[in-house]
Amino acid sequence: MGSQAIREWAGINTFAPATQTKLLELLGKLKQENVNTLTILVMGKGGVGKSSIVNSIIGERVVAISPFQSEGPRPVMVSRSRAGFTLNVIDTPGLIEGGYINNMALDIIKSFLLNKTIDVLLYVDRLDVYRVDNLDKLVAKAITDSFGKGIWSKALIALTHAQFSPPDGLPYDEFFSKRSEALLKVIRSGARLKKDDSQDSTIPVVLVENSARCNKNESDEKVLPNGTAWISWLVQTITEVALNRSESIHVDKKLIDGPNPNQSGKLWIPLIFALQYFFVMKPIEGFIKNDIANESRPSWETFE
Amino acid sequence: MSSSFSASKHLSATLSTPLPPRRHNSHRPSSLKCHLSSSSQDSDSSNQTLLKTLSKTIALSSAAALLLHTTPLPTLLSNGSGDFGSGGSGLGGGGGGGGGGNWFGGGGGDGSGGFWSRLFSPASAIADESPSQEWDSHGLPANIVVQLNKLSGFKKYKISEILFFDRRRWKTVGTEDSFFEMVSLRPGGVYTKAQLQKELETLATCGMFEKVDLEGKTNADGTIGITISFTESTWQSADRFRCINVGLMPQSKPIEMDTDMTDKEKLEYFRSQEEDYKRRIQKARPCLLPMPVHMEIMQMLKEQGKVSARLLQKIRDRVQKWYQDEGYACAQVVNFGNLNTKEVVCEVVEGDITQLVIQFQDKLGNFVEGNTDVAVVQRELPKQLRPGYTFNIEAGKQALRNINSLALFSNIEVNPRPDEKNEGGIIVEIKLKELEQKTAEVSTEWSIVPGRGGRPTLASLQPGGTVTFEHRNLQGLNRSLIGSVTTSNFFNPQDDLAFKLEYAHPYLDGVYNPNNRTLRVSCFNSRKLSPVFTGGPGVDEVPPIWVDRAGVKANITENFTRQSKFTYGLVMEEITTRDESSHICANGQRVLPSGGISADGPPTTLSGTGIDRMAFLQANITRDNTKFVNGAIVGDRNVFQVDQGIGVGSNFPFFNRHQLTVTRFIQLMSVEEGASKPPPPVLVLHGHYGGCVGDLPSYDAFTLGGPYSVRGYNMGELGAARNILELAAELRVPVKGTHVYAFAEHGNDLGSSKDVKGNPTEVYRRMGHGSSYGVGLKLGLVRAEYAIDHNSGTGALFFRFGERF
Repeated sequence: MGSQAIREWAGINTFAPATQTKLLELLGKLKQENVNTLTILVMGKGGVGKSSIVNSIIGERVVAISPFQSEGPRPVMVSRSRAGFTLNVIDTPGLIEGGYINNMALDIIKSFLLNKTIDVLLYVDRLDVYRVDNLDKLVAKAITDSFGKGIWSKALIALTHAQFSPPDGLPYDEFFSKRSEALLKVIRSGARLKKDDSQDSTIPVVLVENSARCNKNESDEKVLPNGTAWISWLVQTITEVALNRSESIHVDKKLIDGPNPNQSGKLWIPLIFALQYFFVMKPIEGFIKNDIANESRPSWETFE
Repeated sequence: MSSSFSASKHLSATLSTPLPPRRHNSHRPSSLKCHLSSSSQDSDSSNQTLLKTLSKTIALSSAAALLLHTTPLPTLLSNGSGDFGSGGSGLGGGGGGGGGGNWFGGGGGDGSGGFWSRLFSPASAIADESPSQEWDSHGLPANIVVQLNKLSGFKKYKISEILFFDRRRWKTVGTEDSFFEMVSLRPGGVYTKAQLQKELETLATCGMFEKVDLEGKTNADGTIGITISFTESTWQSADRFRCINVGLMPQSKPIEMDTDMTDKEKLEYFRSQEEDYKRRIQKARPCLLPMPVHMEIMQMLKEQGKVSARLLQKIRDRVQKWYQDEGYACAQVVNFGNLNTKEVVCEVVEGDITQLVIQFQDKLGNFVEGNTDVAVVQRELPKQLRPGYTFNIEAGKQALRNINSLALFSNIEVNPRPDEKNEGGIIVEIKLKELEQKTAEVSTEWSIVPGRGGRPTLASLQPGGTVTFEHRNLQGLNRSLIGSVTTSNFFNPQDDLAFKLEYAHPYLDGVYNPNNRTLRVSCFNSRKLSPVFTGGPGVDEVPPIWVDRAGVKANITENFTRQSKFTYGLVMEEITTRDESSHICANGQRVLPSGGISADGPPTTLSGTGIDRMAFLQANITRDNTKFVNGAIVGDRNVFQVDQGIGVGSNFPFFNRHQLTVTRFIQLMSVEEGASKPPPPVLVLHGHYGGCVGDLPSYDAFTLGGPYSVRGYNMGELGAARNILELAAELRVPVKGTHVYAFAEHGNDLGSSKDVKGNPTEVYRRMGHGSSYGVGLKLGLVRAEYAIDHNSGTGALFFRFGERF
């Protein structure tokens, strides 16, 4: 992909003017901070709207959306530049296949990401799901196992299908907070984040509605049922996450392979061996000697 | 003094009577009847049961036919009379047991002793001369009493019955009386007058009786009934008891007393005899007989008052019983001395070993020069069999077991034999028949394997088999070279040819060094299905990976005890991993959700090529003090094994792979030990920790699940990890000769599955941990158990061979 000339971010023009202003403002803010490239990794289960989000952000139909079937097994990176600023969005295939983590897909994603730096992880799930299950945990675990815990401080959660009315007349905001809370909890446990880890970087949650029939406000911005213009919100949150103090994740060979368990502790082996000799084998030998001394002998053996 | 006179008077008579012919036999003393006492019936049977139990234990330890002779070989006896076998069987009713009891030849010093020489060999010579079945009628009127000397010397009389008449008690005693065993005559037997006279002489000289008479009573049918009337000997009461070992002591020969001695001379004579006896007692070595038995006998003496012959018999039986019970099979009470004093002296020949002889026999039983170094046999013998110790049958059995465990001999006999040159001594003879040094064996089998479509066809009939050759006992030092080749298909042996060649070199520190170290060098190969590449529950089929190992191993085993040992050595091996079609594969395969198979699973080898070569040190220390309590195993077993990589091999493997197994068999109830007693309930606690630091190829990863890991799961069904911990508890309750058990087990990867390269546990969707519980029944070698797998909550019935722990 590197060889391919990066195209101008034309899609930004398709946004409503208010959104455009907002986006440009945010881009300026990034440039101020000396951030010229922003790489967003989009991950999540299959069929939650990862590709749609990519399309929504870029403002073009860059990734084929394939409803009802699993998307292509390969990750796709879409790069757009605007005023010397480059935006990379990496769309990935769904991580779940047949109730289990699709390890092969994960491996492909990992090798695709080799030598790239991830500034923001966009974890996508649906808003209109009432329950969280083990799969969410598995996905979170797979991401942690692949990229380390650190990635969660560069993460935000996007909940798609936001134009949805909660059941039983539950207030929209309440449903949203409940849903995000539940999801965060399961992700945190799946990612094995401790309380301490999460306090400096609470994972932000944004709502997304990719549908073309999304409601719009008076300035033609796509808005959520609660009136928020979500594209600006999303990009703003992305910017915030990108600019938070946590390090971006650079994916190198070592990260992909994980720490080589065969190497860890190797230096200690001579010491371990010595300890085994003195603290395991010698005592057992002592026990044996003791057994011999305490052996009950028949009387004929003791008579002299 | 006066009392001793009367006794000695009696004795002098005893001694002056002409000795029965068999006494003249100079070899008689050698016909030591080991183990047999006059109460031969019991000891005989006990002897036989002893042999039986012995052969039982031996049979367990080896298929070779072994015999421990506790009795001297019949050929050793100068005449048939002492033959244990014929004596025993001929006696039916438990008579004198034929042993020529001339244990102490001329009798003891102070005169009152000595009678026992006859007492213990009451069976007269006539018993052995098999009575012919033809007999003559007495030719006298019926119902008249005939004195012995009135009988005709030419006739053979048939004895219809034998009665004993105790003159002191003035009544007839039954056959159950302890005196009855002294008589070798049997009702229904046919005897000549000379035989009857001899019998009477024997009884008269045995010392049991002050006076004994034999008379016949004619019956109408021509037979005669015999009445033996006697007066039991008694002596002054005693309150002390002393037991001395007179084995190997020269028997003092009494000086023939002149009939025309003056009283003074007589007095002098007796005094000198008394002195002699005192010296004898002083010279004699102390007995093995423990204090409690001494006390018991003293109690008997106290209760009795006067020392009677019957009491002495009782004492003798008690003393001999103790020796028999303790296994001193050759011990025998030969005499009671010092009678008519305050102290009864019991003279015992305990059976001191004077010599240990190791002999080799060929197949026909001829003595040959054996190939085996005698020192190899000698080091297996307990020191209690060496000259200077008292022969004990248990030591003999131990020797038998030890020699048998050498697996060098087809037949082993341990015989105590009386030492002819050294009266009272025992020569322990060990007779060995060596096994063939070189053996070769071919065993074949045909197997029908499923052909195409799962149906067996003619082409799928496979000839398989094993070729084994063995060269044992090289240089007579028990070194051996064993090789075997096994294949299941001789047409295509390259498929699964398994071979093993092992050289064992025992007594590395020299055959005389008590250290027992054995060097073993072996070449081997093996093929096993890797449990690492196994699917978890719900995973249909994981393509199997075969792990072939071929290499050389050299190790030294140091045996601390029969069960505890320390082994250390070097292993060099080549590991090849193959897929189902025997192609070398570098990665495990996995089934894709789409149904396809991808070959990018976890790496199978360290090198990543499918072939690893490595050399590492291996040490194993096993502590095992388990023993059987009525068939239930009780005790501790700890095993620690470490494989230490030394950086030699593909990718310079450097690792420390270690496992510690701790198993405790706790006896929950104390039970009486003995054959056919029920075993105690046993609680088994088991822990196994395995861990590895450094390079860990998947074939060396620890797997969880399986009959020897966590029951209720398949081999490797729970995972393959770098560190594992397995815990198990089992309660065994004996039920009708077998036992039932309940168990609970848990295996855990301690989160270390991810530390195995490629994480095979996760790739094949395994849990990494799991528990199970269940119940089982032991049926011989087979365990039938119902185990519930805690992960899925389902149970299944399993049949397994062997023990879990």
